Amino acid sequence: MIKGYAGRVLEIDLAAQTYSFEPLDEELATLYIGGKGYGTRLLYDRTEAGIDALGPANPLIFATGPLNGSVAPQSNRFAVVCKSPLTGGIGNATCGGTYAYGMKRAGIDVVVVSRQSERPVRIEVNGDRDEVKFIDASDLWGKGTYETQEILGKKMSHAVIGPAGENRVLYAGIVSNERIAGRTGVGAVMGSKRLKAISVTGSRKLEMDDAEAFKKYTKETRAMFKEHPVLGSSLKRFGTAGIVNTTNGRGILPTKNFQRGHFDEAMSISGEHMEDNDLVGVKSSCLHCPVTCGRDVEIEGKGRVKGPEYETVALLGSNLEIGDLKSVSEWNYLADDLGMDTISLGASLSFAMELQERGMYDAGIRFGEPEGISELIQDIGHRRGIGNELADGTRRMSEKFGGHEFAMHVKGLELSAYDPRGSFAQGVEYATTNRGGCHVQGASMYMESVGPLTINPQNLKLKADIPVLMQNNACAINSMVLCIFTTYGMIPASVHNMDPDSFVHRMMTKAFENSGPMMRLGMGVKGQPMLWWEKWLTYITGQTFSSGHLQEIGGRIFNLERMYNLREGLTGEYDTLPPRMLNESTFEHMDSGHPLDELLPRYYKLRGWSADGVPSQRTLDRLQVRA
Amino acid sequence: MSIRVEVTYDMSKVLGVRSFELESAQTVGDVVEQTRTRFTDCADEFDKLVRVAAVAVNGVLVSHRKGMKTTLKDGDRLGFVKAAAGG
Repeated sequence: MIKGYAGRVLEIDLAAQTYSFEPLDEELATLYIGGKGYGTRLLYDRTEAGIDALGPANPLIFATGPLNGSVAPQSNRFAVVCKSPLTGGIGNATCGGTYAYGMKRAGIDVVVVSRQSERPVRIEVNGDRDEVKFIDASDLWGKGTYETQEILGKKMSHAVIGPAGENRVLYAGIVSNERIAGRTGVGAVMGSKRLKAISVTGSRKLEMDDAEAFKKYTKETRAMFKEHPVLGSSLKRFGTAGIVNTTNGRGILPTKNFQRGHFDEAMSISGEHMEDNDLVGVKSSCLHCPVTCGRDVEIEGKGRVKGPEYETVALLGSNLEIGDLKSVSEWNYLADDLGMDTISLGASLSFAMELQERGMYDAGIRFGEPEGISELIQDIGHRRGIGNELADGTRRMSEKFGGHEFAMHVKGLELSAYDPRGSFAQGVEYATTNRGGCHVQGASMYMESVGPLTINPQNLKLKADIPVLMQNNACAINSMVLCIFTTYGMIPASVHNMDPDSFVHRMMTKAFENSGPMMRLGMGVKGQPMLWWEKWLTYITGQTFSSGHLQEIGGRIFNLERMYNLREGLTGEYDTLPPRMLNESTFEHMDSGHPLDELLPRYYKLRGWSADGVPSQRTLDRLQVRA
Repeated sequence: MSIRVEVTYDMSKVLGVRSFELESAQTVGDVVEQTRTRFTDCADEFDKLVRVAAVAVNGVLVSHRKGMKTTLKDGDRLGFVKAAAGG
């Protein structure tokens, strides 16, 4: 077995309540690394087109990669893969916490949960004894994710759902500690299986090809992280919400259901404001992570709880025109405890508010008014009354009540908190990402509109190139499985510390803006490992990973996801943005919105796809994608 | 003519305000200069923070226009912004 892998796949049949340990497929591990990539391959091979995402034929796949189980910073994450009940296409999400580490300690790379249980059940896996217990979970059914994990105790690592998953809220997630695999409704699939929790334990150690080199280099990397302006400073000081004032200043902070990109009260919901007024401590809930982006805040009646992250303060704050961080923190806590994605939740609430404002549907909530939102979030999690409508997300609501032009989703997945009208590459990424409108399947915005590079995010230069490279990179990162935030360290401290208006900075920006072919060529070279995740993979597995290797593997995974979506009927016509993003401008110099029609053909060409977005046979052969 | 100026969080700690209005600034350079004058007691600290911040007018970086010479019009919003990362 390749080093870095436990070598085992745990197959669980919930209907029969049986299990078996099967060998990991080394060829697939070589082609897809693990995590999202390996999981997608299994999903593609084991399912037929058109299955009911909430039916027994949809497997729920928990997958780790070779970095998991090590002490590499930001590496304790697992991926969940299944068909998405929200989009009807590929569903996946990754999550921090402790569960990934627990899986590897149990000697398991992948858990495949098949079919459905008749009654609520939970699973305990003891990897040392090769033992799996199916335990009645009726006593836990209906309980929140926090209470559930408290009852399950700290001896094992858990992945659990809350009432939102049990009630099949289409954007329910799976929670480990205080972190959540939030997107695409993976928690609803777990709920459809009546699986409340999976708990794992074991004492196996990760075998590495060159443990000494790994240890030495990890020490150096930790020192580098410490000095980095993002990984060692801003994320540590302000958490992810430290970006609010930047997106607001750049006109891309979603406000009033994306009607605007600027919110006058933004500073009141920022990470800096949180640090000065609400923070009661800093805590990283992911094992071995020195970045510590997690915040703790105090909530009346609940005590010290996890504070909201950027996506949450934007989607539940500015996007609802709420400038009160205490309210946002309370709603964040509620959503986490119910076990649902705050991005889709926030977008569904803002969509309902705009429907109300236009007299199309009255959900009883209004922009700028916090009254009624807590109750409605509870109702969504339990699918009660009006909450039952919002539990289906914006696409289905727009099909029922109208408002397609301001339903803020792509492929059914609600947009995250970077308005693409001021971040063109991010817009292309939203439109083309296989799981739908999400930012962590590439994070192109960091290269154009929020990071230290000051290229013009509103011209066409690089705006198709960046998403291809970043999506491929993210596919590889999500298969190791590593936190996407690690890519924020790619731009060195020296660039961050430059005066953005200096001559050198402007020249560097110009050079980057015109580097398309060189950048693609450079990132495609299969050479020696340079970046930390390439070196970690190399030291752990004994195989060589460079940028070129990972671009190829990432491209393979991305194209396989694409083939899955095409098989499910999600054709190129779904590669679009909400009409508001295409037709309405929030910038005075723009007559309309995002120029997707000009960028998409180039994106397809760079991908090696046809004009209607289908990967050519040549592309599939080149990437060894069997479809 | 009124320009709304929004400062970075670090600047707000130094200046004691998160935003303010300027009535007679014609260019971005005028805004920087008038801010320095208006908050004369902390001009040095403001200068240090300006050096690591970019300037955006109505969301667009002035480095893509005419830099400090970028002209302003009534109702413009000028923001000092720092590079950041979230998720």
